[in-house]
Amino acid sequence: MDDKKELLKDQLYQACEEKLEGPDVTAYSRSFSQDDLQSLSICRELKIDLKALMGLVQSLTNDRRFIPLQSASGPVWRLRPEEEANKYRGLEKDQVLVYSWIDNAGGEGIWQQTLRNKTGITQDQQFKNILKQLEAKRLITSFMSVQNASHKCWIKASIKPSIKATGGPWYADGDLDESFINILLNVVFDFIKDQGSYSTRGTGGTARGASTSPVLPKKVLKGKESEVAVAARGKKRDADAITNDDESTPLKARRSNGQQRILLPMPAGYSNYITLAEITERIAAANITRGTKLKESDVKQLLDVLMYDGRIEEIKVGRRVGYRAVRISKHDPSNFVPGSVPSYDLPSNGLTEAPCGRCPVFELCEEGGPVWAGGCEYFDGWLA
Amino acid sequence: MASSTQTKNSAELCVLLIRELYGQLPSRIFEILLSTGRSTVQQLARISSTGLRHVRHGLAVLIQQNLIYHYTDSDTSRTIYEANHYYAYNIVRNGKILDCVHRNYGEAAKGIVHLVMASGHMRVGSIVDAYLKSHGKVANNVNGSSEPTNGHANGDDPFDDSAEEIQVSGHQVLDDIAHLIAIGILEPLSPKMLQSPEDIKREHESRVVHTVRDIRNRSQNLKMLLEPTYLYGSGAKRRKLANGDRTRGFSAANDDDTIEDTIILRVNYEKCLVELRNQRLCQFVDDNIGHTAAQVYGALLAALSKKLSCCQPDPRDDSIDPMNPPTVTTIEIFEYLKLSVDVFGGIGKPSADQINVTSAEKVERHPPSGDGDGDEAGYDAQASIEEPDNYGDVDMEMANGYHLNGAHGGNDGEVSGPNGTKDTKVTFADKGPTKAERMQRMRQHLLVLAESRIHFVRHSGTRDMGEWTVDFEILIRQLRFLELDTIIEDTFGREGLRLIKILRAKGKIDDKTLPTMALMQKGDVHMKMVEMELAGFLDVQEVPRDNNRVAARTLFLWFFDEHRTLTRTLDNTYKAMVRHLQRLEVEGQKKKNILSLVERTDVQGMEEEKLNGDAFNEYQQFLDIQSRLLGQVSKLDDLVSVLRDYQAQVLSVLRPPVF
Repeated sequence: MDDKKELLKDQLYQACEEKLEGPDVTAYSRSFSQDDLQSLSICRELKIDLKALMGLVQSLTNDRRFIPLQSASGPVWRLRPEEEANKYRGLEKDQVLVYSWIDNAGGEGIWQQTLRNKTGITQDQQFKNILKQLEAKRLITSFMSVQNASHKCWIKASIKPSIKATGGPWYADGDLDESFINILLNVVFDFIKDQGSYSTRGTGGTARGASTSPVLPKKVLKGKESEVAVAARGKKRDADAITNDDESTPLKARRSNGQQRILLPMPAGYSNYITLAEITERIAAANITRGTKLKESDVKQLLDVLMYDGRIEEIKVGRRVGYRAVRISKHDPSNFVPGSVPSYDLPSNGLTEAPCGRCPVFELCEEGGPVWAGGCEYFDGWLA
Repeated sequence: MASSTQTKNSAELCVLLIRELYGQLPSRIFEILLSTGRSTVQQLARISSTGLRHVRHGLAVLIQQNLIYHYTDSDTSRTIYEANHYYAYNIVRNGKILDCVHRNYGEAAKGIVHLVMASGHMRVGSIVDAYLKSHGKVANNVNGSSEPTNGHANGDDPFDDSAEEIQVSGHQVLDDIAHLIAIGILEPLSPKMLQSPEDIKREHESRVVHTVRDIRNRSQNLKMLLEPTYLYGSGAKRRKLANGDRTRGFSAANDDDTIEDTIILRVNYEKCLVELRNQRLCQFVDDNIGHTAAQVYGALLAALSKKLSCCQPDPRDDSIDPMNPPTVTTIEIFEYLKLSVDVFGGIGKPSADQINVTSAEKVERHPPSGDGDGDEAGYDAQASIEEPDNYGDVDMEMANGYHLNGAHGGNDGEVSGPNGTKDTKVTFADKGPTKAERMQRMRQHLLVLAESRIHFVRHSGTRDMGEWTVDFEILIRQLRFLELDTIIEDTFGREGLRLIKILRAKGKIDDKTLPTMALMQKGDVHMKMVEMELAGFLDVQEVPRDNNRVAARTLFLWFFDEHRTLTRTLDNTYKAMVRHLQRLEVEGQKKKNILSLVERTDVQGMEEEKLNGDAFNEYQQFLDIQSRLLGQVSKLDDLVSVLRDYQAQVLSVLRPPVF
């Protein structure tokens, strides 16, 4: 009888396993309801009735091969991979209890405090011992959640903490890696600036002077056609071969050393503004993310920040959604060098330049009051 | 009404400006009018503890300068005076307006406007006389030492057109005046225009809008009479006028009977504001896109403002359809484009296959509907335009057309081969651009402007090589945000700006979501938010999740109140202007001895010789400080213009309609 039951159990488990779809990581998240199980071909062929099925499911659950869950429509079961189930073998009762909670918490992990409450193990020493034993068996590992920096959480050793728990690629050891983000922001901005603008050389002095005269620019245009423009166009043509692009830009910068380069906006309808996919690809190609692979959603986050900073804008040409830098002619054409702070000229207006605009006691300032324009030391400094 | 929208700071500013220019007495009366509202002469005398004669004297100055409204009740024959703070504020812009008139319409126009400005309003006859007189004086001075401009208040220096040696005749002056009336910078003044809109409203209870407009129209009759000759005449003539060319080869179109000597003129600040707005918007483009584009944009605005008499059309005026703003065609714009503008530069030159002409030439017949924040606006408008499925093919075809002389063809009948891409380029390098090529390149600049997310211009039709319009409401709102952003970035750094822009794009956001979106540390975010809240740029709303109202169980929703922030910033700007003027007064007091010396008629004009070394240095120092302070006031005024005058705010409460 037992042998037969064991056999049936295996068959049921295999039948369920066959129903799983997709890659291993996601496949096991599929859940089976009672109806699903009953409609399996094996149940119909072997004429397993409801009661027998319940017995089998219960037994599988005890074996840790089934994970019982509650859904809105009643109880459901999820499969646990065989090798995971095997890990329960050889564990003591308390250890099983603790491990099952950690196992079920998945990638989110479980806070030590919550774990203790759920398991009902009240003795501190005993609880810590269990955790230590499990850790020694390399079944579980601890990490700090970014959501609550002080919370020590436990997770199965075989999986990595979820993005929600680690905060994604932007966190290193639970801290927001701001320098990493800043470098990436600047690198991404450079990509956008390069591909969304036209780099040219001014004629010695100011670029503006050149563009006001009707005669002078013709020569400039000619010169541009012959040297820079051709080079630039050559560069633009193999925009697909992105890695080449990276190398050619500093070269060009060196060549035009001494002459002032300026960036020009592209004509309307320019359809080669860099896209999200391209940026993601270039970041991967440049290998600057220390092995962390940035997904498109991560890069989108960076782009959003750049947009909120008012440095880039989204531009839709046809169906292609690209990005370009705003105030392009105000930007320094040379590329970002890690470790430096890229200079960008801030717009200013009457209020930011005047002492009043940044006066810490502006609210108090009043004729005859403690602070007044005549005796204002900020004015003194500004007028001096 | 005038006083109801006033803040303490703006009132203080107006009073200071009047004191600076017209002296203590008028400013005192104006101050009383601002604080107590409409008053009679008797009331004014009582409150100011001044004699009736003095009050009348002060009122006369104020009326002469259009600074107050007055109204005589026909039953009681009592006259009531009311402050016109809008005009008072305009004093600060005088210098800027003169500068603008000079640039756009030439030296003579500036001289005339200056005369009218200095005396508030003036008869045509007197303008001609005064202009001839002052001009004669300058003509005499040509050989001798021309008066050094010693930067008196507001920088409205005497005419320094010393280089000009051609004698002007009354005819020419009249002609210039006629031109200025046609443009709308000078306007005939009728007694009704010195009455407050409220009084006129009361007088004609029912037909308000019509009456107000009628009065305006009556004043505009002369403008309309002159417009055909001066604005829509041949391009050559207009250009001559615009360049201030004095050697006219044509007889003055204006016969003496069109403009009677007795007509009274005053400066129409509404129209001047349009000109100033054009200037500011060009700067905006220059900053955002580039210099060439800004010059093209300037031409577009010049062409367009021919059809605009003021920045903020009266919402009660139903003759203006907000859905169909005036448009200009490419050809019209080209008329206004200065020959010196090099339209061939300023745009990158990618290869033709990278240009999607369908997208570039896209026509948007209606203003974008979203509330333009630059970040979010425009998606929908763009998405709604159908794109051909095979746009790749269309792309190629059109891309060719782009490098030819355009799909519409030049009017000089130049035919280019089907693959003329290279040919045209060679042509312009060799023998200089033709008119059609120039126009075509200018169009490219316009298209770049139209493509920008800031909505500088909208490509609204295809007639005459393209129709263009400017949605000022959206554009000025963007400009306002830009000014705010500048202040925010300057005060709170880039991160502060980032947070505020997130709030602006997303509305109200909970405390916990923000750090993720901004990619910032939680602590940093909190600190910045609190800092900005204290400074009044942000607001927070607390939503308790249960009845206990403990902080841990409360949602904190941050939000950005556009209207409140703008109002606050505007008031701060007034206050800063007041402080600058007050400081100037204090500096003047410090150097009182020197200044009283300089004011003596025998010293004026030759300070260097008459003052001894130390005194002269001190005087120079004062001039330096004065120019810095006044320069800053003028910059602050730029901010006020953007925040208040170039376009009504969403709730349009900041500025009453003035006519």
